[in-house]
Amino acid sequence: MSEEVVSQPLEHTAALVALACLPGVGPGSLRRWVQAQNATEAWELASSGRASKDEVLALSLQRNLTTNHKITEAARHIDPLALLERHRTLGIGVHILGTAGYPQRLAHDPSPPAVLFSNGDISALDAPMVAIVGTRNATRLGCDTAARLAGELSMAGVSVASGLALGIDGAAHSALVWANANGQPPAAPPSAPHDGQLGNGVDEGSDGGPGGGLASGIGRPVAVVAAGLDCRYPRAHRRLHDQIVERGVVLSEVPLGMGPSKWRFPARNRILAGLADALVVVESRSSGGSMLTVAEALRRDRPILAVPGHPTSPSSAGTLDLICDGATPLRDVEDVLVAIGMGGSSSRPLHERSSSDGEDLLGESQDEVASELLGVLAAGALTLSEVLSRVDSDRGLVAQALLELELSGKIVATGSWYELSTGAARASSRGARR
Amino acid sequence: MFASIRSAVVVGVDGSQVSVEVHVGAGLPGMTIVGLPDASCREARDRVRAAFIASKLTWPPQKVTVNLAPSSSRKVGTGLDLPIAVGILVASGVVDASQVNRMGFVGELGLDGSVRAVPAIVPLVDAIRVAGGDEVVVPVACAGDAELLEEVKVRAISTLSELVAALSNEEPWPDHDYRRVEAAPLDTADLADLRGQPIMRRALEISAAGGHHLLMIGVPGAGKTMLAERLPGVLPDLSSSEAMEVSRIHSAAGRVLTGGLVRRPPFQAPHHSATLVSVIGGGSDAMRPGLVSLAHGGVLFLDELSEFSPSVLDALRQPIEEGAVRVSRARFSAMLPARFLLVAAMNPCPCGEGGRPGACSCSDAALLRYRRRLSGPLLDRFDLRVAVERPDAQELLTGAPGEPSAVVAERVARVRAKSLERGGVLNSRMSRVALDEYAPLSNDAQRLLGRAMEMGRLTARGLDRIRRVALTMADLEGVDPPLEPMQVAAALSLRADISLHPGVAA
Repeated sequence: MSEEVVSQPLEHTAALVALACLPGVGPGSLRRWVQAQNATEAWELASSGRASKDEVLALSLQRNLTTNHKITEAARHIDPLALLERHRTLGIGVHILGTAGYPQRLAHDPSPPAVLFSNGDISALDAPMVAIVGTRNATRLGCDTAARLAGELSMAGVSVASGLALGIDGAAHSALVWANANGQPPAAPPSAPHDGQLGNGVDEGSDGGPGGGLASGIGRPVAVVAAGLDCRYPRAHRRLHDQIVERGVVLSEVPLGMGPSKWRFPARNRILAGLADALVVVESRSSGGSMLTVAEALRRDRPILAVPGHPTSPSSAGTLDLICDGATPLRDVEDVLVAIGMGGSSSRPLHERSSSDGEDLLGESQDEVASELLGVLAAGALTLSEVLSRVDSDRGLVAQALLELELSGKIVATGSWYELSTGAARASSRGARR
Repeated sequence: MFASIRSAVVVGVDGSQVSVEVHVGAGLPGMTIVGLPDASCREARDRVRAAFIASKLTWPPQKVTVNLAPSSSRKVGTGLDLPIAVGILVASGVVDASQVNRMGFVGELGLDGSVRAVPAIVPLVDAIRVAGGDEVVVPVACAGDAELLEEVKVRAISTLSELVAALSNEEPWPDHDYRRVEAAPLDTADLADLRGQPIMRRALEISAAGGHHLLMIGVPGAGKTMLAERLPGVLPDLSSSEAMEVSRIHSAAGRVLTGGLVRRPPFQAPHHSATLVSVIGGGSDAMRPGLVSLAHGGVLFLDELSEFSPSVLDALRQPIEEGAVRVSRARFSAMLPARFLLVAAMNPCPCGEGGRPGACSCSDAALLRYRRRLSGPLLDRFDLRVAVERPDAQELLTGAPGEPSAVVAERVARVRAKSLERGGVLNSRMSRVALDEYAPLSNDAQRLLGRAMEMGRLTARGLDRIRRVALTMADLEGVDPPLEPMQVAAALSLRADISLHPGVAA
């Protein structure tokens, strides 16, 4: 939104935005219109009501079978210039592929979005960036891990991109927003002299210099969503959406006023994969959106890191598969920093690393039953009856110990499942959940 | 020329007395019925006349006017056929009025002069008794039920001519054999069939002992339904006054009490497609009692809770709180008793696997839709909310059979008796004042609950519920209050935090 579209006439931009609203029009068509510079022509054809769908799309060399009735009907309700004006008044940046202001990270992508909309500070993309993705139905441990990782990465000056979905995505974003709100101010001044040079350097992913210079700032949240930027989907994350706009940037290739549709989500994942220098999968089932993001990241030669989980946990099946297939197991934030070439020199031996929460928890609790419970729960989430069958103590004592542990934040009870809790999200988790 | 015959119609679960006034006098031959009869009641005109002719009785060649007093309230049903016929007999001088002035009549006439059964005989006969009748004439099929009211002499007849013969002292009262088969031994399922599942068994026992509503959340195939069906088996017999009340309700709903008084707690398990009126009551002008009333004194089991229509579920809130439903229609309203133990079962999410964190494969939209069906206030009314897991295969194959129902029932009966003696109510219905008196908290327990409330784990309303459950647990263990942290924590562990969405939105 900071840079104006200079090399394109206004009509061309408006036509592209309007075309993006039409049914059956995807990134591929848009891209070809951008390349052929004939978007205005295509729009005129589409809105005239005379041309068939095929004729419109023929201009993008794509043939697709939506009835031309639908496309002209949709076009009738769109006024391109007013639509573009609406984006401008709401402060939405409109970036056309191949023009100034288009994010460098995506400029050389194999399938870049032809039109990219941004809400917030697009310069958040200039820092090194890691994408954190995972399942929506995450375990508490998974959410905590995502949150802790995101917080630590942002402190190292790495922006974190995610999809703003429930579960892992939301946990990572929330942690980032929190870090930006409570970290050392000012968090990454918008006018700082990051002229894209460093960003470009990392974006190439080839040399991966030390990159320590950027660590002075705090990494910013970047969200890539599958709906128009005014839709703020999912509803549960409306506030989070606004917070990210405030402190980072929300991106979409969908014009204002368009809701989410199913095919947009995998398309969104490719942008996420294209933006990031490395992809972290925290939890995923064997098939799912995260796996599509992984496939896109592989296409782009991005390093993939997966958080190993317990074999019995269904939400870690996908990440374990990834590790078997050669993804880097992620032990802590150092591993991520090494992967994006920021932490190679300072890689410490494992025993010096910070992740010793489990031991701390055990050390703190003086109660015998409590420590036994923590040991039992270390293997994954359990129900009350499962806990009781594994612990050899009086029912009442176990219940009391569980409650004490829950109240002191060491375990979390979700619908009568008990899980260990760790990490940064712990303190605020219960309040935020309600 | 004129006769007034005692009878009754049913509204809700109560009978209401009706005087059938018959006038036979000069005018064009014909018959009118006034006094707000409904369609089935107005048809009595044709049935009665045909029955007269079939019974070789003389139909008065005069104007017959029937008034159903009080004339302002609507009369429903066919039970007034018989009193109308008797009224005509008296008014036309076939039967002497002194023969019937202590009597009441209920029954439907067939065109061949036979007398047929009518529903709701217990409340009907009771209303006649209250109105001063000490002898009641009923169809044979209803005589067994009518006899449950011991203060009334029951005369069973099968045809109109039998009645006429008896009333005109030509024949003795017919001696029909309507003896009931004595209550068959109950073959309710036994808890011994249920292997493993210690938490579920425990929840069931607490639920039965304290009258705490129970919600089971778990994957399909965990044995939720199996458990719920075994709950009535551990409840004690109904007391005699309860049995009478329950029997009246069942009779009013049109059930024939083949086994005599209902002495065992009833068990109602409506399908989730049940409509609001069928569950709450108020169907037809007779304000038929619904399933909640049929479950009065027993167990209402709602399997697949989230599949019920939200309006049905929210309508349950009044009976849960007050033990009765007031059903109101344009013309009248009725108070239907409905104090039941609510047991519900549901899957954690549409795919059924959502209990375990991270295992659910439902879409957000599906989950949201699923969750929206259950209102918070309803969920809050379950004192016990337990997660149910599939039983261990090993336990199913080789495990010892569980404790039989009889043993559990004994403990349940002991606790119920104790709590009734203590506060006059079951623990789950104890008032806050009584709670303070009978279930004080130890200092440690107070501190623990205080922390739980600060952490948002417990709400103010939840606090009282937890105390009641903890008291029941203490009663079961034979421990006297004050309640210790152990019991309070155990009670809290059986009241799971219902976030049906395991994927936490940070």
